[in-house]
Amino acid sequence: MTRRLPLIAVAAAALVAFADLRAGGAGRAGRAGPAATGTISGRVDVRRAMVDAEPRPGVTNLGAGSAAHAHERRDAVVYIETAPQAAFEGGGTVSASMRQVNETFVPHVLAVRTGTVVDFPNDDTTYHNVFSLSKTKRFDLGRYAKGQSKAIRFDEPGIVRVFCDIHSHMSAFILVFAHRFFAVTDEQGRYRIDQVPPGTYTVAAWYEGAVRQSRPATVREDGGSADVDFAVR
Amino acid sequence: MGATAPRAAAWFGWVLLACLLSGRAAAQDEPRGATATPGSRLTVAGDAAVSMAPDDDAYFNYSSDAYSVLRLVRLDASAVLRLGSRLSLLGDVRAQSAIGPGQWQVRPYALFARIRPWPRKAVDIQVGLIPPVFGAFSRSAYGNSNPLVGFPLGYQYLTSLRPDALPASADGLLAKRGQGWRVRYPVGNATPDHGVPLMDGLRYPLGVELHAGVRPVEASVAVTTGSLSTPDTRDVGKRPQISGRIAVRPTAGLVVGASASRGAFFARSLTASLAAPADNGTNDQRAIGFDAEYSRGYWIVRAESIVSSWRLSQLDLLLSDHPLRAFSLDMESRYRIRPGLYAAIRVDRLDFSEVCGSVSCLPWDAPIRRVEIGGGYSIRRNMVVKTAYQYNRREATVRRTSGLVSAQLVVWF
Repeated sequence: MTRRLPLIAVAAAALVAFADLRAGGAGRAGRAGPAATGTISGRVDVRRAMVDAEPRPGVTNLGAGSAAHAHERRDAVVYIETAPQAAFEGGGTVSASMRQVNETFVPHVLAVRTGTVVDFPNDDTTYHNVFSLSKTKRFDLGRYAKGQSKAIRFDEPGIVRVFCDIHSHMSAFILVFAHRFFAVTDEQGRYRIDQVPPGTYTVAAWYEGAVRQSRPATVREDGGSADVDFAVR
Repeated sequence: MGATAPRAAAWFGWVLLACLLSGRAAAQDEPRGATATPGSRLTVAGDAAVSMAPDDDAYFNYSSDAYSVLRLVRLDASAVLRLGSRLSLLGDVRAQSAIGPGQWQVRPYALFARIRPWPRKAVDIQVGLIPPVFGAFSRSAYGNSNPLVGFPLGYQYLTSLRPDALPASADGLLAKRGQGWRVRYPVGNATPDHGVPLMDGLRYPLGVELHAGVRPVEASVAVTTGSLSTPDTRDVGKRPQISGRIAVRPTAGLVVGASASRGAFFARSLTASLAAPADNGTNDQRAIGFDAEYSRGYWIVRAESIVSSWRLSQLDLLLSDHPLRAFSLDMESRYRIRPGLYAAIRVDRLDFSEVCGSVSCLPWDAPIRRVEIGGGYSIRRNMVVKTAYQYNRREATVRRTSGLVSAQLVVWF
């Protein structure tokens, strides 16, 4: 399921091109510019019990090692699977940050647009070595100490699994979108995608490595809000 | 290469292929860490390694398990059960077999209680089958911590010294130079058996350890069975091994450590057969060690040295140059070339003090030089395939050199 994201992005681009040729549907709505836009919002109700990743049992250690790592906040990401062409135009966020704090990546889930440069500052007293072997973006930042930061630009849409080469329990997700219609849920699981052109869309809820649920949503011609809730079991 | 080598190569190939296919099938579904129950009361992890190489007919890589560390299959499962903020139980069970005709050995590698009297202070007491406090390598010998396939000489190479048997003279000792994988002496146990390494990194002693840390310093002291060369032996009487280590981390990425150990080495079954010494007598292995590690960016550099001496009062009559001493030094470096790909090298030497026989004075065992160069590639985050070339040179008259190509697949979960 997790591999759907890049495919979806490609498919979305193809759909947009097709829609453009026919000069109709969401593609035209996106180009119209001044047309009213709406909002897709709702809540992702996570009922799946997730256990924090733990350090490997340190039987070779002489002591208990460092203090317990921080609790990971596992946010969901909601996005439109087939976006109008306008969604692919213009720039979105150009920089973002994923910190390393108490042997935890903060945030655990980061959603960005293609072209975004993500900083990885080390706020711990120990070394970290951020890396990814994901096909979307393969990188290794090497070992660096507290107060230092390294950055990577993400140019391809898809999912990037991020790890630390020194601390096996550290992991995070970076979801890279080719369009701007996505949102990360807040602490209550709420999300809001603004400025969505009128049309009918498929909205997907991604959580911890997989698309858990997809639902249709319609933004009326006069804008307004479409409420779409998800339940992740 | 022996008759079993093609079969081993085929097995390695099938395992690698299966892993590659599983890696392709779930490229995004990388493991996140150890498996834990809700509340993290129980955490379980494991790793598996398949190492293969041609037959080591010069026995450079044979360990105290009596087979080559370059030709084995190993499965390892470890767990920690947290019984509150002050007490944890930790265990590690290992099953391993030599590739070829070897039999599977299953044994608890570590099994101990970790007590933290003051939950907010970095003071721990470990009781049971505990990790050795001496040195650095034995605590990073897991497949994914060791950048190469082989082990450092000081932790693996079998010297011609045995805890339960002795030569009758200095000439008898010198005659066995470079034959530590299978040596027979007339005094004590006359059955042929392997000698001992300077430090046996494959076995954990039974005992108690106190560990405390106040940044940037941490220190450990342990009272355990055996000695560095024979940590799990019980045949040395009631005298315990006392060992300690102090490590300093002056800056991120740099660790400098010093270790010391003293424990009874020669077996009671041997000393009982010898004439009693005039005084209480000496029977021990003493060792000091120094280690350092520095890492930055894509580099890790390590160095470790062990100086060991073995003493037995009764040996004074046989060897005028008593005690027997040995010195090991290894330097290792790893460089990450690109994501998932690294190159590594280890340069290693093992030297011995001289003993004078009736004809000449020579090191009591044959000095060894070793260079191992190789690299590894991460197929997935938790799956590494390594390959290395190892060149060994022994200053002895028989089986002097050996060049071995090895490969290893390591999977952790």
